Amino acid sequence: MKTAKISNPSIVLQLSGLTKKIGGKAIVDGLSFDIAKGEVVGLLGPNGAGKTTTMRMIVGLIGMTDGDVHICGQSIRTNFEQAIRHVGGIIENPEFYPYMTGYDNLKQYQRMTEGVTDARIEEVTKLVGMQDALDKRVKAYSLGMRQRLGIAQALLHEPKLLILDEPTNGLDPAGIKEMREYLKRIAEAEGIAILVSSHLLSEIELMCSRVIVIQEGKYVTARSLGETESPKQKIISISLQVGDAAHAQAVIEGMEGIEVVSVTASRMTIQIQHEKIPGLVAGLATQGVEIYRIEEVRETLEDEFMKLTGGNRIA
Amino acid sequence: MRNFSGLLVNEWLKLSKKKSFFVAYAILVVVFGILAFAFYKLSPDGLDSTLDFATGTIMLQAAGQLVPVLAVLAAAGSVTQEYRYGTIKFLLIRAQSRHKILASKYIISIVYALSLVVTAAVLAVVAGYIVYGGGSGDSTWTDFFSNMASLAVYSIVFVTMTFMVGILTKSNGAAIGIGIFSMMIGSLLVMLLSRYSITKYLLFANTDLSVYRSDAIPVEGMTLAFSIVILLVYVALFLSVSFAVFKKRDIA
Ligand SMILES: Nc1ncnc2c1ncn2[C@@H]1O[C@H](COP(=O)(O)OP(=O)(O)O)[C@@H](O)[C@H]1O
Ligand SMILES: [Mg+2]
Repeated sequence: MKTAKISNPSIVLQLSGLTKKIGGKAIVDGLSFDIAKGEVVGLLGPNGAGKTTTMRMIVGLIGMTDGDVHICGQSIRTNFEQAIRHVGGIIENPEFYPYMTGYDNLKQYQRMTEGVTDARIEEVTKLVGMQDALDKRVKAYSLGMRQRLGIAQALLHEPKLLILDEPTNGLDPAGIKEMREYLKRIAEAEGIAILVSSHLLSEIELMCSRVIVIQEGKYVTARSLGETESPKQKIISISLQVGDAAHAQAVIEGMEGIEVVSVTASRMTIQIQHEKIPGLVAGLATQGVEIYRIEEVRETLEDEFMKLTGGNRIA
Repeated sequence: MRNFSGLLVNEWLKLSKKKSFFVAYAILVVVFGILAFAFYKLSPDGLDSTLDFATGTIMLQAAGQLVPVLAVLAAAGSVTQEYRYGTIKFLLIRAQSRHKILASKYIISIVYALSLVVTAAVLAVVAGYIVYGGGSGDSTWTDFFSNMASLAVYSIVFVTMTFMVGILTKSNGAAIGIGIFSMMIGSLLVMLLSRYSITKYLLFANTDLSVYRSDAIPVEGMTLAFSIVILLVYVALFLSVSFAVFKKRDIA
């Protein structure tokens, strides 16, 4: 058996220098990242960034110009059948044979893979809450139902990696929330890694532990989401509401390591090291400054993402 | 192997679960019914037995022509419908090679064509029996089975060609159009070009093997063995192109 260069067994998906050129233009350009077991990772980028193209290459629907994709150590390029057996996916919209029932459609994919039992069909349809609609023809399904059936077909063969291309596209806010919840449930119940793309951070940030931002086919940045402890030296922005901002400013300017960013009559924004905040509060209090509010000004990830991707390009 | 039979079952179900599936067989029933009725009313000269009727009607120049047309309609859709529905994206991300998937599609297209040939042949015999109740004529069972075999060969060749056109164009309409158009125009073309000996290498000069049982050989010097070789070469070519293109194709 061919072994890949990676040795870390918990790496489920590995992209190394993945590149797609069409007509001389690099649509995906030297993309590299890893996803470990159990991770839910977002692939974020404005429309046309190359998310779908990247995912098509990951599942072997299109060839790669350069680089490689390894799934559980097997190359999609040279060992397709061994690699793809660990993957379930939906690229763009979930599409089925419209004249067949949901059940008949799932049976199609059952017959294509060794070892998928009828009990497994039942299990995945329950997981996505489709057990009552399975006897209907797919042409009568709503988009939300097709999304669920799509996820059911993707999970059928117990993959280690789920690839979902904009699964929230076309869903209403309630549908998006629901999708988020059952994807979380699936990640827990099945213990699999999920790569999910979106052009809207807000739609995936609540389910991802990490986002990878791409633009014009290139890697831009990656961010871990969720609470991170502030390091002591970290400089943060603080907004203060005080009785007399001018007085407070005079006091603060006498202190070290604090920068005043803006001041209005009763509000001011400052930059200060995390560990200096208690000193600031004590100093203001002893000088008789009345403090009504003290808040951290956080740049939301959305702001950050807008900045990274040039905001206006996001549809 | 279990996997491959699964693929075959899948392809058969994709055909047979369609509402239009029975239409093809129903058309054959209706056409042979009408023919039987017409022959019963008119009792044309030279046709005196069940076998005369059956052998004559399943010829390409008669009701037999319906069989390759119906077979081509289905073969055109085998790959192109997967594109149309978008299901190709689910089909090709399984632990199955593209070659195996395409092979299952081709095999089922051929099986379907043969099922139409057999249906037409059975209907021809049954209709002939109803009209003539046996009887004695010139035709033998050998004649009948030769015509049936010719019909099968002709259907397989055009199914294979249409299958390839479907893969190349990804368009159901184009595949049907080109498949049926070349059936129509092919024999005409051969007739027009029959004085050039190079014409015998044309696919269409060789598709109807029943000519070797009459004396209507399209180009001088052609033999049954020659035609079979030419057909095999063309079919091999069509299949090589189909499999090579389908294997490499980006599914966008
Ligand atoms: N087959 C193709 N030929 C030429 N350009 C393409 C092709 N497929 C995609 N593109 C281009 O590549 C870019 C990335 O597309 P895509 O991967 O669909 O982006 P995303 O999914 O992030 O919106 C787009 O600018 C698109 O126009
Ligand atoms: Mg896309």
